[in-house]
Amino acid sequence: MIRFEKVSKRFPGGHYGVSDISLNIESGALAFITGHSGAGKSTLLRLIALLDRPTRGQLLIDGRNIGRLPEKEIPAHRRRIGLIFQDHRLLNDRSVFDNVALPLHVRGFPVREVGKRVRASLDKVGLLKKEKVLPITLSGGEQQRVGIARAIVSRPPILLADEPTGNLDPELSHEIMDLFLAFNQLGITTLIASHDLELINKLDRPVINLHQGKLT
Amino acid sequence: MRITLTARLSAWFDQHRRSVNRSYLEMRRHPLATLMTLLVIGITLALPASLLSLLKITQTMTGDHQQSASISLFLKSGIVNEKALRVATDLEQRLQIDHVELLTSADAMEEFRGRSGFGDALDALDENPLPNVLLIHLLPDSSSIEIRKLAAELKEESITDSIEYDQGWIERLQAITRAIRRVVQALGFGLGLAVMLIIGNTIRLEIMNRRQEIEVTRLVGGSDGFIRRPFLYIGLGYGLLGALIAWLLVSILLMLLSGPLGRLAELYDTAISLSAFSLHALLLLIPIGISFGLAGAWLAVSRHLSSINPE
Repeated sequence: MIRFEKVSKRFPGGHYGVSDISLNIESGALAFITGHSGAGKSTLLRLIALLDRPTRGQLLIDGRNIGRLPEKEIPAHRRRIGLIFQDHRLLNDRSVFDNVALPLHVRGFPVREVGKRVRASLDKVGLLKKEKVLPITLSGGEQQRVGIARAIVSRPPILLADEPTGNLDPELSHEIMDLFLAFNQLGITTLIASHDLELINKLDRPVINLHQGKLT
Repeated sequence: MRITLTARLSAWFDQHRRSVNRSYLEMRRHPLATLMTLLVIGITLALPASLLSLLKITQTMTGDHQQSASISLFLKSGIVNEKALRVATDLEQRLQIDHVELLTSADAMEEFRGRSGFGDALDALDENPLPNVLLIHLLPDSSSIEIRKLAAELKEESITDSIEYDQGWIERLQAITRAIRRVVQALGFGLGLAVMLIIGNTIRLEIMNRRQEIEVTRLVGGSDGFIRRPFLYIGLGYGLLGALIAWLLVSILLMLLSGPLGRLAELYDTAISLSAFSLHALLLLIPIGISFGLAGAWLAVSRHLSSINPE
């Protein structure tokens, strides 16, 4: 489903985010990306979401090379991907409900459908009762779960998480990982960048290890 | 098929309703700043609009006069009324002349007595000093050149003592009005541009304020159109409300002017209708305001949105 063929990302100034990466992630898989900070974990995810464009090689998603995707097709591409960040990227002037509803609004979902899906999504992450509050009033773990609810509300085929447990204690990290495992059970192809090796080792899933932008 | 179409339509309306709603909330979030911007827009639009309506008033005034353009032919003394009437009938055959009216010296005296208030003084006179006058009413579409030519011909007639016609001031006024109209049009264009830039700048600030929201919307796959929409609605809102304020300002000005202008019209013997709060003006101002608002918003959006991309 996601296929890197000798992909490099060279930033202006000469620094390489990733270089000469080739790998294949099957549809429905759950894989971890590990490595030190600066090893290229984030860059790998950003390339898939076209937050950055590869400078060399081919990046194929469902057999289509997205490296040269025209600018105006990027929104449609991102709608197939749920993105989760370490810093949540929630909008603090809107309620939890409105935050989670945003991906449905950009797709033009009718109001009734939005309500149903948002609540279903919040229910899955255990925050159904918090739909009216502002994200800033929630704990770090809860905010991360709002971010996850937002990422899955549109039922995208791909889920990308960049250090989703970065700021959380081990117990909360476990809960978050369990959520990802549950979504993966539903067939969502999931990539999680993390340096929490202890947690990753317990889960026995494929691990992509990066060092200075290269596979090791 | 039918169901999906209605569902799509209602989703489309939902999306727009939400955009309008957000724009409204955004404008209400800083009520004072929004009000000040609206006032600036309103005043800027009101300036050319009020000048144009004043011009329109002078036009109706001078227009009225042209319609009733007439030549007064003062008859030589000693010409009897029968002769005068015969001449009048002859004159009515001419092309530019609508009809001819005989104002006898007695009629003229009556009118003068009534209007001037010199009644007592007139009684002291032994005989009526006023001449018989033929009031020659011209056809409304006669040009000033034709009128001048006719006047010259009439002056040569044997019965004519003197000729009087007061086209001069109307022509001058019309020439001045035309010149002022040009100025107002240029001014209107410039001020319209100013309104566009004011709205554009307001939208630019709005975009900067909502940078994070734009970034997140891009992350979840919001299209340019989706991101653009609320800003365009804000521009539209400013244009619409600014036009409304301009309309109110112009209407208030016209109301204040109705006294003095009414008196002026009376002096020139015409009726002017000062249309304060006229629907016509509103229907003219609103599309103008909306176009400037949308254009300004579009300018800001196309310049600044593309520069905001998620980190």
